Amino acid sequence: MFCSQCGTPVPVGSFCSSCGARVNDAPPPPPLASTPEPVQQPAAVPASVQRAQSMVAPQPASAQVPQTGAQEKCQWCGALIDTGSGAMANCPSCGAALKARSTASLAGWLEMPPRKDMAKLQFGNSSCQIEGLYVPVADMNLAPEDSVYFSHHVLLWMEPKVNISAMSMKGGWNRVFAGMPLIMTQAQGPGHIAFSKDEPGEVIALPLHPGQAIDVREHMFLVATSNVQYDWFQPQIWYQVRAGKETETHYPVGPFMDRFSSPARPGLLLLHAGGSVLVRQLAQGETILVKPTALIFKDPSVQMQLHFEHPNAGTINWGYWTNRCIWLRLFGPGRVAIQSVFERVEQEGGSIVSHSNATTWNW
Amino acid sequence: MINEVAPAQTAGSFERIQCQWCQSMNDKSALSCGACGAPLDIRNVVSESGWREAPRIRDMTEIHFNASTCQVEGEIVPTAEINLGSGDSIFFEHHVMLWKDEIVPLSVMPMGGGFKRVFAGMPFIISVANGPGRIAFSRDAAGELVVLPLHPGMELDVREHAFLLCSHNVAYSFVRVKGLTNILFGGQGMYMDRFVTSNTPGLVILHGYGNVFERRLAPGESIIVEPGAFLYKDASVTMQVEFQKLGSGIFGATTMSLAKMTGPGRIGIQSMYLHHKTE
Repeated sequence: MFCSQCGTPVPVGSFCSSCGARVNDAPPPPPLASTPEPVQQPAAVPASVQRAQSMVAPQPASAQVPQTGAQEKCQWCGALIDTGSGAMANCPSCGAALKARSTASLAGWLEMPPRKDMAKLQFGNSSCQIEGLYVPVADMNLAPEDSVYFSHHVLLWMEPKVNISAMSMKGGWNRVFAGMPLIMTQAQGPGHIAFSKDEPGEVIALPLHPGQAIDVREHMFLVATSNVQYDWFQPQIWYQVRAGKETETHYPVGPFMDRFSSPARPGLLLLHAGGSVLVRQLAQGETILVKPTALIFKDPSVQMQLHFEHPNAGTINWGYWTNRCIWLRLFGPGRVAIQSVFERVEQEGGSIVSHSNATTWNW
Repeated sequence: MINEVAPAQTAGSFERIQCQWCQSMNDKSALSCGACGAPLDIRNVVSESGWREAPRIRDMTEIHFNASTCQVEGEIVPTAEINLGSGDSIFFEHHVMLWKDEIVPLSVMPMGGGFKRVFAGMPFIISVANGPGRIAFSRDAAGELVVLPLHPGMELDVREHAFLLCSHNVAYSFVRVKGLTNILFGGQGMYMDRFVTSNTPGLVILHGYGNVFERRLAPGESIIVEPGAFLYKDASVTMQVEFQKLGSGIFGATTMSLAKMTGPGRIGIQSMYLHHKTE
């Protein structure tokens, strides 16, 4: 029998072990690999499907698990999963539901794969369960040898035996977080500790393969395993606005960007984004314009640049406030991810006196 | 104890189902609990660390209390729509009202210590609505309704500004807990609402931000909770404010205040912290 809600095989009992729904005798949903039925434009669909299949992160052969039978490739993180041994509902390295189909829009954005409530991720000898659907909680069960680091305001609860301490950070002193110095806190196992942010959205699990790095916009970080290296750089995306006699500098993707990498061993990075998460793979030379504050993460190979667009307002002078859009242009190749809930770009219509490398278009 | 048996299998010889959330007995054919609205045909969702998700109440579920009913509408920011029976009344913070029938009279609950709380800068008035008639409530951000039917002789402590409504036969008071506020907001302390039933059962409906989880602590068992996460607890659970020092060379030490909860009893947490500024 199969669960009618999530498609997990249920050998005994009348309740699904992964989502808790009642089980019926309906046949399983079509397998993940099958091509979605063509919608309206038959020519456009194969392209987006192809894109969806190539969305997985680059992965060296050494990271693959030994073949023991039926295998499936996780659509999100590219991990090979042994599905022959039993009812596995979630990818053990990123928590994405395996039986559910991830949908790519006709424009080529891929929705983050649905995650079943209580999906469990494995890292080292530790595990992480992601609980809840509105404001998900990352509940870590740390093994004695494992530790994670986080910014202390995301802590939700912990067992008294978990040892937490401040993490020393080279160069972290010039990072300012909501008016407070950014202090990373480290939690050492054994024990349970849980984290959540204060905004409805999604938890994004990014397993980092050895040698892989990812650039993340500031304030997106939730928690990472201690073997993930943390660094920051200045993305050099800025513009200066004249307001009266004052000149203000604005950094639409932040003055600093976080770079997480895992040089030797695989690591796990968890982010929290507002609303829904969309990802796409940009081909070599492909570009896309996104709202700067919507960016979540990008591969380091993706370059960024500002773009100012002036809509055609006819002969009426609407003033600066309605007369300009500020975009972030992303250059492929590489993965980029955006969130559907994002802040307003500051002083978008202001009088810009100077800016970083940018292009302009007048309609 | 909560997750041992699927509800459908607990039906005894009289064909009754016990709700796993509030322990009320229900007719075998019922799909949701009449006292708390929890679905009866869905297994409890419990994390490996022992937190049970608050039941996700299905859209349009009806809950019965005294001579009144409450219908839960919507899922992202749920609305509690009350059809008050004649002679019933409920109390609530006035700003959570969404709509009402014109005939439903409103009054203000007389409270001894209430002035002190207003004096502290909070526009804090508990309003009362009397039946018969309809009145509906909702809070201001994504979350879940937590329906807690109180059996006679129960005491429940709730974080301030978390309760949506409560039936009139429950005694209401509040205490001030010092130090228990997220350090981001100055650590000025917070109030905690206390709900006590005497001889009659009552109903408290809370709105938890984000997702809500509950855990039953054994006697002497402790858990450390970020103060913003705390939602409710049985009065038997003790709360102790702890300060965790996070040393940092240049800035000196940052102190983090945490609440240590010790059993026996239930504790409920919410996954999103929305701070209501107290001006």
